[in-house]
Amino acid sequence: MAVKIKTQYGTIDITNEVIATVVGGAATDNYGVVGMASKNQIRDNVNDILRRENYARGVVVRQEDNGVAIDVYIIVSYGTKISEVSRNVQSKVKYNLETMLGVTANSVNVVVQGVRVLAD
Amino acid sequence: MKVTEITNLEFGKMVQAASQKLNQNADFINSLNVFPVPDGDTGTNMSLSLASGAKYERDADTAAVGALAVALAKGLLMGARGNSGVILSQIFRGFSRKLADKTTLTAQDLADGFAAGAETAYKAVMKPTEGTILTVVREGAQAGLNAAKDTDDVLVVMDAVRKAAADALATTPDLLPVLKQVGVVDSGGQGLSFVLEAFDDSLNGRVAENADYKPDDAEMDEMINAAHHQSAQGKLDPASIKYGYCTEIMVRIGRGKQVDHKFDYDTFYNYLADLGDSLLVVNDDEIVKVHVHTEHPGKVIAWGQEFGDLAKVKVDNMRMQQETIMEKDDETPATATPAVAEPAEDTPDTAIIAIVAGDGLATLFKSLGVTHVVQGGQTMNPSTQDIVDAINASKAKRAIVLPNNKNIFLAAEQAAKVADIPTVIVHAKTVSQGMTAMLGYNPDAELTDNQASMEDNLSTVKSGQVTHAIRDTQLDGFDIKEGNYMGIVDGTIQVTAADLLETAVDTVKAMLDDDSEIVTIIYGADANADLADQLQQRVTDLDGDLETEVHEGDQPVYPFLISVE
Repeated sequence: MAVKIKTQYGTIDITNEVIATVVGGAATDNYGVVGMASKNQIRDNVNDILRRENYARGVVVRQEDNGVAIDVYIIVSYGTKISEVSRNVQSKVKYNLETMLGVTANSVNVVVQGVRVLAD
Repeated sequence: MKVTEITNLEFGKMVQAASQKLNQNADFINSLNVFPVPDGDTGTNMSLSLASGAKYERDADTAAVGALAVALAKGLLMGARGNSGVILSQIFRGFSRKLADKTTLTAQDLADGFAAGAETAYKAVMKPTEGTILTVVREGAQAGLNAAKDTDDVLVVMDAVRKAAADALATTPDLLPVLKQVGVVDSGGQGLSFVLEAFDDSLNGRVAENADYKPDDAEMDEMINAAHHQSAQGKLDPASIKYGYCTEIMVRIGRGKQVDHKFDYDTFYNYLADLGDSLLVVNDDEIVKVHVHTEHPGKVIAWGQEFGDLAKVKVDNMRMQQETIMEKDDETPATATPAVAEPAEDTPDTAIIAIVAGDGLATLFKSLGVTHVVQGGQTMNPSTQDIVDAINASKAKRAIVLPNNKNIFLAAEQAAKVADIPTVIVHAKTVSQGMTAMLGYNPDAELTDNQASMEDNLSTVKSGQVTHAIRDTQLDGFDIKEGNYMGIVDGTIQVTAADLLETAVDTVKAMLDDDSEIVTIIYGADANADLADQLQQRVTDLDGDLETEVHEGDQPVYPFLISVE
């Protein structure tokens, strides 16, 4: 399971781990995202914010004919406009995949796993 | 002058002034985008977000500043758009929570409010990026706190906040390399700086009192729509319309050769009032806009010219439009189930909807078999709703959408989900890809098979775009000068030169390889047939075996679009 890019010199394989890290980085870059969450609510504690090395646990990459479909699980900050933050995540993830890896995301599905109330 | 407290009056003026200032400067903020192709929207997003905040503040029924601030924050939250809008809403969320129970604000309150706003803004993000709006709010708030230690004058505090924010904005290029590379300050930071500037000017009484409130473009449009709605009523016999021409003009006051009156609102208005109804007149020092329904559009235009030169004129025959309005009105009742109409002779089973900018491109796509065109492109992406409307209006059994632009994929995907008929998207990123995709279309094939074969065609074409740089920048290893041309091949800048033709020739060179057979040149609004013919000649000189085609596209922004297959 990896994205293959053919060039005149051979092939480039990009593992899903790498894609997940790029996706996680793009998502957490967005204002209002306090962190990445695990996609597996039962096994992992829902409210745990993933560390960078575990971003893959909060990202699902599905291979499609001409690109990938991404699911990304995030925790947002209470009091932000969650719909707009999610929309920003979608466009940033898509943009970063294309500019950094040359991978086209056909869809980016954002799952808001939690809302963090930050101490005022 | 010394002011020791801000009451609901001052606060209301501050907020409205800031909203107006962002609205006036939205285009400028948009232009600070860090990619030299003009398509930024930070200014638009911030302006719309604050407009929503300002509306909630205006409508709040209270005299306590704290409650007004809460209303402002609520409106910002509801109307937040884009990253910058979300951050702006957070700043005022912090501000309003800190001051929620205040009736008026002292200098210390104001400083505390900004400090709380900065704190809240920083909290809602995992890794705050310095060199952005966050830096601007933090530095401004810090300066406010420092000033409040020594004074109880709100003007002194607000002046300090404004100045520190402006200074911080100036340092953003030192904190974010990409800004320095392009030579701009951060767009979101610039937006916030405008807001604080407007607050300060308003408190100091430097904002002209808007005794006669002047609506902006969007509000003017809403007013016009409302006026039309009231006058149309949809039940009129076209023949019974009293004033048949919807006439809009925009006049640059005092310019041009025919000016023989100094502009005076009442004089100007009263003459027009006798010419028709639904009259709206809006002006500032430089421009006056008029909307009126009249039988004498010529008189309206001539009257405008007595005060200045014409920047824009639009005349619509409403008797002709009336029939369509009546049709529309028949459709509006939400409870009515759409009658199953016999498809008209020319209703296609499969609608192919292409999104393009420019009449020439529209014609070109139709010649390739596209059935419907939605106008849109680099700088004006159609909304999901526009695409859904086009799909549903086609009355076809199924639809294929060609976005022809990466930025429209999302809207198109959404549209496909909610459209009344099965719809697929063919992911053409450029006009060139869109045209090539049409070659893979088979009217007798299944929808998904068509999608697959059309998408397969996308990779067979190279897309070149020639456009002008709107500022000096360094990108993809190129030193690009404002006003020079760039050649972009499949999304990366490959060539840059001062001359349009040379840039276009070099772009083609960069696209050619041993397998190239056909070069298609589509010239836009900023080029002409002559230039296109020269380019065609030069391409033929490069390689006599190449087939070349030239089309008129009328597209904005890109003087040349080039495909190589």
